[in-house]
Amino acid sequence: MTSAHAESVNGSLPHEPEKATLEGRNKVLGFWLFLGGESVLFGTLFATFLALRNQTNDGPTAHELFSLPTTAAATLILLVSSLTSVFAVQAMHRHKAAALRLWLIITVILGLGFLGLEVYEFHEYVTAEKFGMTTSAFSSAFYTLVGFHGAHVAFGVCWIGILIGQLYKKGLTVVTAPKVYVSAMYWHFIDVVWVFIFSVVYLLGKVG
Amino acid sequence: MTTVEQHQDDTVKHGHRHEGPQKHVVVFIFSIILTAIAFATVMAGGVNVAFTVILLVVMAVLQALVQLGYWMHLKDKGHLMPIIFMCGGAFVAFTAIVTALYWVWW
Repeated sequence: MTSAHAESVNGSLPHEPEKATLEGRNKVLGFWLFLGGESVLFGTLFATFLALRNQTNDGPTAHELFSLPTTAAATLILLVSSLTSVFAVQAMHRHKAAALRLWLIITVILGLGFLGLEVYEFHEYVTAEKFGMTTSAFSSAFYTLVGFHGAHVAFGVCWIGILIGQLYKKGLTVVTAPKVYVSAMYWHFIDVVWVFIFSVVYLLGKVG
Repeated sequence: MTTVEQHQDDTVKHGHRHEGPQKHVVVFIFSIILTAIAFATVMAGGVNVAFTVILLVVMAVLQALVQLGYWMHLKDKGHLMPIIFMCGGAFVAFTAIVTALYWVWW
């Protein structure tokens, strides 16, 4: 631990607490490397989906399946949640711990709303439309890509949920600040991936 | 509160200019508009398919760039390595997509 670290924990926080320590700066840099890797992961899943999206094996097609109002609602929820996590980081830069926790709680609630909508959508597909994981190459590619994104949202909800608890317990310090900053980056990245999912999977599916 | 702490507190309040929420709200509205254009074009129907595909990709890439730049601060100084990481990831992703689109069903 550096002396600046200990000082900041006991005294007042620096302006951008997530970048106050070398450890914090390294966490942010390392997380960008991880996000570069995540781009590759999602890129290959998108590639698989694009190659297989018309191989419907006499099962439901994208055009029959998708309901754009549901997709629009999910998109709006996730976009708003990305904005609330921006507000969380801004509250953190102003050292307003209570506002930070509140914005993170709103972000988590919106994330849960998105997940609920996705679970409902998948449930409808499987039960009403007989569109399961093994129905066709299209269905496998669809559930793998969109499900992987949904799993990322679920992981993010748990992660930020635990962080909120830690903020209550330990407060806002140069140790907790990088965690908040990195989780906000993760959340924005999930929203960026969703932009490509609603464009390439849902809207393109309706076009043909 | 000691004078040292007082001073540090003042520095936090007055020494740095905090970025306001305005810029981020503008990015949010811009994202909503791009999304609305994409949805409206598809929902209206009857638009040339090739044109729609190009429009969807352009809207998505624009929105991704704006959010990466402003919400994730990639446009701020000191982000050269993160930009290299993300460009590397995007390059591999792009290569994979082009390969799948044009060579799988050769």
